[in-house]
Amino acid sequence: MGTYIVRRLLQAIPMLLLVSIALFALVNIAPGGPMSAYSRTNRMPEEKKEEIRRKFGLDKPLPVQYVVWLVGNDWMQIDTDGDGISDGNGTRLGILRGDFGFSYKTREPVLALIADRLPNTVYLMFFTLLFTGIVAVPVGVISAIKQYSGFDITATTLSFMGQAIPEFWLGLLLILLFYGTLDNPFTGEALFPSGGMQTLGAEFSILDRARHLFLPVLMGLVGWVAWYSRFLRSSMLEVINQDYIRTARAKGQTEQKVLYKHALRNALIPLVTMFALDFPYIFTGSLYAELLFSWPGMGRLFYNAATSRDYPILMAILIIGSGIVVLSNLMADIAYAYLDPRVRYE
Amino acid sequence: MNFRKSLKVLIFGLVALLLLVGVTGCGPKTSGDSGNSITILIPDNPVAFNGINTDTGYEQALGELVMLSLSETDPNGNVFPELAVEIPTVENGGVVLDEDAWTMTATWKLREDVFWADGEQVTADDVVFTWNAMVDAGAWYAPMDYTESVEKVDDFTILVTFSTVFPAYNLMFGGEDVFIYPEHYCDAEAGFYEWNCDSQPLSSGPYILEEWVADDHLTFVKNENYFEEGKPAIDQVIVRIVPEEPVKQQMMLEGDADLHYWPAEPASNLYKEEGNGTKWAKSPTERWVMRLIPNTYVKGDPETPHPFLSDVRVRRALRMSIDVDTIINDIFLGYGVPVWNDFFRPPFNSCDIPRPEYDVEGAAALLEEAGWTDSDGDGVRECNGCDTAEAGTMMTMEYAIYAEYGESLELAQQLIAESWKSIGIGTDLQIIEGAIMWAEAEDGGTEIAGLFELDMWDDGYPGTDPSDQIWTFYSSGSDWNYGHWTNEDMDGYIDEMYTVYEEDYLWAACEAAAILEEELPQILLFSTLEMHGLSERLNGVLPNSNDPVTWNVADWTLEE
Repeated sequence: MGTYIVRRLLQAIPMLLLVSIALFALVNIAPGGPMSAYSRTNRMPEEKKEEIRRKFGLDKPLPVQYVVWLVGNDWMQIDTDGDGISDGNGTRLGILRGDFGFSYKTREPVLALIADRLPNTVYLMFFTLLFTGIVAVPVGVISAIKQYSGFDITATTLSFMGQAIPEFWLGLLLILLFYGTLDNPFTGEALFPSGGMQTLGAEFSILDRARHLFLPVLMGLVGWVAWYSRFLRSSMLEVINQDYIRTARAKGQTEQKVLYKHALRNALIPLVTMFALDFPYIFTGSLYAELLFSWPGMGRLFYNAATSRDYPILMAILIIGSGIVVLSNLMADIAYAYLDPRVRYE
Repeated sequence: MNFRKSLKVLIFGLVALLLLVGVTGCGPKTSGDSGNSITILIPDNPVAFNGINTDTGYEQALGELVMLSLSETDPNGNVFPELAVEIPTVENGGVVLDEDAWTMTATWKLREDVFWADGEQVTADDVVFTWNAMVDAGAWYAPMDYTESVEKVDDFTILVTFSTVFPAYNLMFGGEDVFIYPEHYCDAEAGFYEWNCDSQPLSSGPYILEEWVADDHLTFVKNENYFEEGKPAIDQVIVRIVPEEPVKQQMMLEGDADLHYWPAEPASNLYKEEGNGTKWAKSPTERWVMRLIPNTYVKGDPETPHPFLSDVRVRRALRMSIDVDTIINDIFLGYGVPVWNDFFRPPFNSCDIPRPEYDVEGAAALLEEAGWTDSDGDGVRECNGCDTAEAGTMMTMEYAIYAEYGESLELAQQLIAESWKSIGIGTDLQIIEGAIMWAEAEDGGTEIAGLFELDMWDDGYPGTDPSDQIWTFYSSGSDWNYGHWTNEDMDGYIDEMYTVYEEDYLWAACEAAAILEEELPQILLFSTLEMHGLSERLNGVLPNSNDPVTWNVADWTLEE
């Protein structure tokens, strides 16, 4: 297994390199550019724009920009004053040495911007996924073992509704209901806050955090529970009709042991793939939840960077996200081996 | 425990959790104790406390809370001193003209009773420092093109020497963009865009920044060192970043916010209704004018005149067939005023340019006269005797707006296109991202590269001096003359507008206005209002089309 993991990690390096080239090209080739912020109402003269382009490194050909982004320019002579003569080494270290550059908009280091928002996104998405698991697994299992029962039909109907409801619209409804309509009977205030991570100016309290977490988690939960529970139901249905389940029952094992120990463990294996695909959301966040509930996370950082063509932020999130996709797939493969003894990696 | 039982437990547990979390949350709602504190809602995280390094437009608004300038503009367009003792003029001897060289100097006297929050005095050194920091960093705003030097005369006197007569000299160190920064505090080595003053400003204004959580909120507290005695009246200002419009509306209705910055039209209607705890306020003058910009040359080909947009009769027909009142009343819900000429604000609205009539039949007749008829009956006119295109050329064009404005502009675009369709003008409607529309030519920017036929967007000038905007849009020497329409007489009148003599300025402006009306290089439609939603308890807010609404935040009060 150790050799396999090392081999997969080594294979990931050229793959991520190719992905980075493709992403860099796509981000930069897309129409529009970061200088648009200076063009509409701020008619900056060309020489001033040239200075800014030089400072951002946008005056260089795209392949050179990529090399600087990857390995920095502290080892090469650059023209800092625009006179056409190289007059010193650059200051960029490149992402391979942990320098993701600075935001064109705020001029702050990209990693600092990500570090500000990442914990908020992980916090939100962790609880969303946690509650998804808590709700989806029993719903999926019961739907399967009580196939075509009233519960199954109800769960199926709700699942389809959950998948069909646009997430954004659902979020608005939740705000209207829990913030705009329902009041706390004791205080007369809104039952849940409209957004933010905590009550501003109030002392830290877990309960306050939970209140702010409730609606964004609920919004995410509806779609994900619907999806995961349906998937688990199918997987479970397939497993409980297998011979080894019949054998387990024939051996006199309790129904609970049959379902939990034999059926569920095997039914969960395909879910690992799904989870591996969804795992990067923990890093990238849910844009809708962050926009609607004013949550200061990665989704909004990415969205704002995309609309203003803040390339360094875009590239940092995309490449780190790509790395997480590669890693989560590797983790899924490892989990497969753990869950299914027949799977062996040589 | 079987599955059914565990599910019951699960459902019960979740419901109990909901009730527990919801009901036991008995602290303040979302914004702390709202006692002598107000909450302002904006949709985007500001970039910095720097009006020059602006992106969202909220930088200036928040800058007004903590920073001062030499001068400001009130809602009626009057320039008034802030850090300065008075506005220098020719009459008070503060402005000296060299009539022969057509240059000028302006001498600014500073107040001696203004202090930074750390107790240091605001002096001429800070003004010179701010200017040098901007120049060194390659920052740009219009006065930089006309300024030769900024020098300290004494601790409270500045001398500015201009290379030409520059009418907007009085807002050079003020208006909505420029704040004065403290020399002893800002990290000059880091530079104007990267220094600590952008993120942790040292206050000279009515408030001090206490906390800034990016994409979430900013908290400001009263500056006890503020120079106006007894002000500000409100102890704390919280600025919350709430991206979604419906959420902001709901927060206003719930009493969780006091100022909804730039609400969309439907929200404004809500705030006009009585009895819901809100009200609204609008500026007495307008600024942003929605305009059609016809490219008088072929898309991407600056040598070949456009087959029909180069003909002023066609441009006039386009304007005549637009029902501006319906757009204002039915789409913008009445939150706009018709505008038909760039010189629409006082004192230039005295130029006597009559409002054009909405006349669809007249527009059709004008197109006929220009040689554009629908000879094949397909509903789209072709050139049949026109002067500007080959016979048979179809009268169709691309018509673009920018995506960020939202639904109102899309509806206006569709209504206008329908109207043009009714007189035989075909359109290909496009919605383009702002980051593309105003990008550089090499990045595919449609405006600067002339890669458009007809675009619609809004623009306007702050302060009292339109000369720079007029030069930008209509001068033959401007790179931002997007429509590529030029006129020698117009160039002359624009030059004449660079004067500090009001009478001369007004004369040149009215001559220019007449040319613009005659030639219609742009088709101006209406101006949207500078308006804000307010809580009923917040008083003293005076929206200002020349400056952010926070321009007089020190005067705001709360009802008990």
